[in-house]
Amino acid sequence: MKTLKTVLAAAAAAALLAALPARAEFPEKPIQFVIPFGAGGGADIEGRLLADEMGKILGVTVVPVNKPGAGGAITYSHVKNAKPDGYTVAWNSTSILTSTNIGNVDYEYSALEHIGRVEYQPMPFAVRADAPWQTLKDFADDCKANPGKYKVANSSSGSATHLAAIAIMNAIDCEVIHLPVGVKRRNASVLSGEADAMVAPLTGALNLAKAGKIRLLAIPSAGRNAVIQDVPTAAELGYDAHLDLFRGLSVPRGTPDAVKAKLSDAMIAAAKSDAFMALAATKGFTVAPLGHAEFETLLAAENQLVKGIMQQAGLYKSKKAN
Amino acid sequence: MNPDILHGLAQASLPTSLLSTAVGALLGLVVGMIPGMTISSGIIIVLPLTFVLDPTISIALLLGLYVGGMMGGSFSAILLNIPGTPSASATLVDGHPMAARGEAGKALGVSITAGFAGGMFSFLCLYLIAPSLAEIALRFRAPDLFSLVFFGLTVICGFAARSVVKGLLSAAIGLLIVTVGQDPMMGTARFTFGNTDMLGGIHFLTALIGLFAIPQLIDNLRPGLTGRGSAQPQARFGSLLPRLAELKRMVRPVSIGSLTGAFLGILPGVGGPIAAFISYDYTRKTSRNPEDYGKGALEGVAAPESANNAVTGGALIPMMTLGIPGDPVTAILIGALLVHGLAPGPLLFMERADFAYTVIFSFFWANVFNLIIALAGLRLLVKLLALPKAALMPAIAIFCVIGSYALRNSFFDVQVMFAFGLLGLAMRWIGMPVVPLLLALVLGGQLEEHLRVALTASKGDISVFFTSPFSLLFLCLSAVSIVWPFVSAHRRRRAQSGLEKE
Repeated sequence: MKTLKTVLAAAAAAALLAALPARAEFPEKPIQFVIPFGAGGGADIEGRLLADEMGKILGVTVVPVNKPGAGGAITYSHVKNAKPDGYTVAWNSTSILTSTNIGNVDYEYSALEHIGRVEYQPMPFAVRADAPWQTLKDFADDCKANPGKYKVANSSSGSATHLAAIAIMNAIDCEVIHLPVGVKRRNASVLSGEADAMVAPLTGALNLAKAGKIRLLAIPSAGRNAVIQDVPTAAELGYDAHLDLFRGLSVPRGTPDAVKAKLSDAMIAAAKSDAFMALAATKGFTVAPLGHAEFETLLAAENQLVKGIMQQAGLYKSKKAN
Repeated sequence: MNPDILHGLAQASLPTSLLSTAVGALLGLVVGMIPGMTISSGIIIVLPLTFVLDPTISIALLLGLYVGGMMGGSFSAILLNIPGTPSASATLVDGHPMAARGEAGKALGVSITAGFAGGMFSFLCLYLIAPSLAEIALRFRAPDLFSLVFFGLTVICGFAARSVVKGLLSAAIGLLIVTVGQDPMMGTARFTFGNTDMLGGIHFLTALIGLFAIPQLIDNLRPGLTGRGSAQPQARFGSLLPRLAELKRMVRPVSIGSLTGAFLGILPGVGGPIAAFISYDYTRKTSRNPEDYGKGALEGVAAPESANNAVTGGALIPMMTLGIPGDPVTAILIGALLVHGLAPGPLLFMERADFAYTVIFSFFWANVFNLIIALAGLRLLVKLLALPKAALMPAIAIFCVIGSYALRNSFFDVQVMFAFGLLGLAMRWIGMPVVPLLLALVLGGQLEEHLRVALTASKGDISVFFTSPFSLLFLCLSAVSIVWPFVSAHRRRRAQSGLEKE
């Protein structure tokens, strides 16, 4: 019996040793940087540049891999189930909160660990340039007089833009038809007059606003944005609506602290790199890196916000095993 | 001149773009020529490459392949009496008799020059019509888009003329498959069986690779891998370039072919074969000596050749301006552009007009290189007709796997591709056409989205589909499109039986 125990203990020790690779410094091989949306979009362009800059800092290639689908859930599930060794990183966004609260996956955002935030951007409320409303108040007054008449386009049902639209409509106390027309049709639907207004990430609306095709009435943000200085926040106008689109990094639960710290440092340095700051200045997002602890606090608060809006709109479903 | 036009011309004329156009045209000529390989299979081979290449280079490569493939198909029609692509079917009627009496070179020369003329004519149509059509299309709302996509779907009837029931069933399967994934309006999961990969839905390119390439691979496997590609083509060509007098004789058939081809190309789904037969039929009927046709009249080669090459530019018009594919090739082109975040459609001309013009000018270059390569390399190219399948087929199989994996970096998609391969085989076995299924896969998602957005916006009132003039127009066109294939099949039968009599 005793010998058996010894043998077992030895075997266990051997297995443990085998499992622990020779203690090399992280990272020693390329890192997979998973982007939850398709090529060419905002998440992709910003993510690819950050990955590139992170690679320069870490000394290994950080390979951007697009795994689009299901509002980001494909990527989050992939990274959640990946080996917690720091070699699989998700380029998250507000979608990590929306896609988990809509009830298609059986976990919450907290099923992953979060390295930190990189940037955020406002989601302006925009109308066509020749629309009669000059301010958000104009729209609110008109809308209150005509409940259920106006249509507001968003990227998809339960997405961040949809939730921001709901939040703004709640704040101005107005009933509209929300049109989940999709990212590709969102801008076109406002231009064709099919939708009276839209909520879009700033990076998706900036070009049309600069070209004078649409007018940004307000942003549901805490402060004004540097590239659209003249657009007021909803709060300034006396409306309580607040939801920004953030982007950051997540890793599988159980990733060693040292690895997370290293990734976090590289992420912050890459975010502050000249190339990334230059992209931010042209595209309109705000680079504001947050470390692990602050990001977790932010995520918890944002998750309550998202959950609240979704519950109220009847979009919230939990499939979490309880 | 519009700066976007100049920028597009500059982008399409970069050395890298020109090189990839030339490579594409060469590949196209090869795959078009080899019976058993289609333009679609050629595109599937280069598809994974385009995911990593710059979009300008990718589109140059793909357009080169599209144009080259159309022309390559006629070479085997003339030399072997086997059309390399369905669009070359009409060419062999007079092309092969010409070759048989020792004028293979002249037949090929007429085919190449007529094809070039047709291609260039359709380039002009594309360049002149597409931007203004896009401007109109920008005003389309959800009801109009629904009716437009519905019109695109009615094309299915054209492919189902032989058996309407099987064609419609095939389309219904496609529409059913489209519902897998997230509900576009509510975001809820549909038919995913709790599988996260299924939540992302079935990508139509994955399905397309499986549906088209796998049955084709199996087909080529059957006679045994040791077989050489095909019979040896005629060794003697005679002169290649048509003489001045012959060029003069080509003017009338080429004009007829170019007009018919470009016009029918614009109508989604009519495609090369029909355009070729109609133009052949019309040229023969209006000829002063129709009795020469079918015995090796060079007009009988010029008309269908200019028509099937004009179809390419015509087909690019609805693809670029409305995002509606007319055939499997333009469907793949849409997919290849979407991978780069460039959605063909009216907004492309507004947001990325420079890129839209890059595509248009790449098409111009594709025709130019096609002409040069076809004339210069013809003697070498036809030797490829004897390429062993043992080398060709495994390469295609590998690219199928790479292509479906690379699309979304997902092994799930590879499994889906093989599943669709089995489905394609099963459908072929029971004689069910796969093109309706493919079109349903490409258009089904949009059909549902536009329908539901339209009804959400109208609060459930279906009259919006009839009160909008655009929508009403497309619904009327749909009605025509449903009836048209039956009429045209009848005409084609008459044209062919007419030939047999003479």
